[in-house]
Amino acid sequence: MHETAIALEILRASQETVAQHGGGKLVRVKVAVGELAAVEPELLRYAWEAATAGTSAAGAQLEVAFCPAVQRCPSCGPVPREPGAWVPLWLSCGAPLLVERGTELDLLQVEFEPDGGGHEPSR
Amino acid sequence: MSQAVDVRTQVLEANRRAAAALREQFVRAGTLVVNLISSPGAGKTTLLEATVARLSRNFQVGLLVGDIATERDAERIRRLGLPAYQILTGGACHLDARQVEGALEKAGFGALDMLFIENVGNLICPTNYDLGEDFKVVLLSLTEGDDKRFKYPAIFARAQVALITKMDLAPVVQFDLAAVEQQIRTLNPAGEIFRVSARTGEGMEAWCQRLVRQLAAKRG
Repeated sequence: MHETAIALEILRASQETVAQHGGGKLVRVKVAVGELAAVEPELLRYAWEAATAGTSAAGAQLEVAFCPAVQRCPSCGPVPREPGAWVPLWLSCGAPLLVERGTELDLLQVEFEPDGGGHEPSR
Repeated sequence: MSQAVDVRTQVLEANRRAAAALREQFVRAGTLVVNLISSPGAGKTTLLEATVARLSRNFQVGLLVGDIATERDAERIRRLGLPAYQILTGGACHLDARQVEGALEKAGFGALDMLFIENVGNLICPTNYDLGEDFKVVLLSLTEGDDKRFKYPAIFARAQVALITKMDLAPVVQFDLAAVEQQIRTLNPAGEIFRVSARTGEGMEAWCQRLVRQLAAKRG
């Protein structure tokens, strides 16, 4: 249930980014959430609504890019797996398994309407 | 017209930085730091009472105890005459590095050989937050049932040490110890497992020696 704390941290970091770029109103935030990050995307969206409500970021969209886990055995190569299952060992050879993707919890992009609008955005 | 800025940082970047600063501070001070994680009722506080009772003869030991409410756990430790500071998270289900930083300032422990951080009872959320510790310990008690490591794999994969607690109850509960240990090893081949009972003292010496060895290694 730490999605609330994660959402507040996404909001804080996003607002910081906006401030660093001259200030403005948050419109959209893109985050990457890995399958093994112990964060539920659906709960995160609810938490985001609650975190932004009543703030200057109210109405800002949270876009969650879900990253499925990819695991690889150093000797056997990519490991086929069931979605949602954690397979830390490639059992046929017993070698330690590498997690290549799926632990992401990243802030990717922050979109905002600059203060004192009217000028062209500097993309 | 809106403007888009590519950021590409970890969401928990601020926590990562705070944890890195704490880790540096602990290296300079030569303090071994252990982050204890388990579900509520697995016996974190009882294990810590028994651990510090043994270690405090020879080492300066401090405890930070995280809970949503009440000072009960810190009081239990203070009754043993040991320095403990309660972090009240006010609803949050985990500790973060900034809370640890703030608590250390307020606690005024002085020079410590070992610092134990008892996280909020929860097997999921604390897993994401680095506290600057040397290693995480996950506790699994015999009364919790033997399928927990499948439901909450991340902490078993990330904790360097797994403690199977309440071993004194082994004769009266259904718990397939060998199978559980095999599966914890599957989740974390490099991890270590200790079977302990704070009540009877079983395994406590091995666990405490493990801590003393790592403290010595940290101080080189």
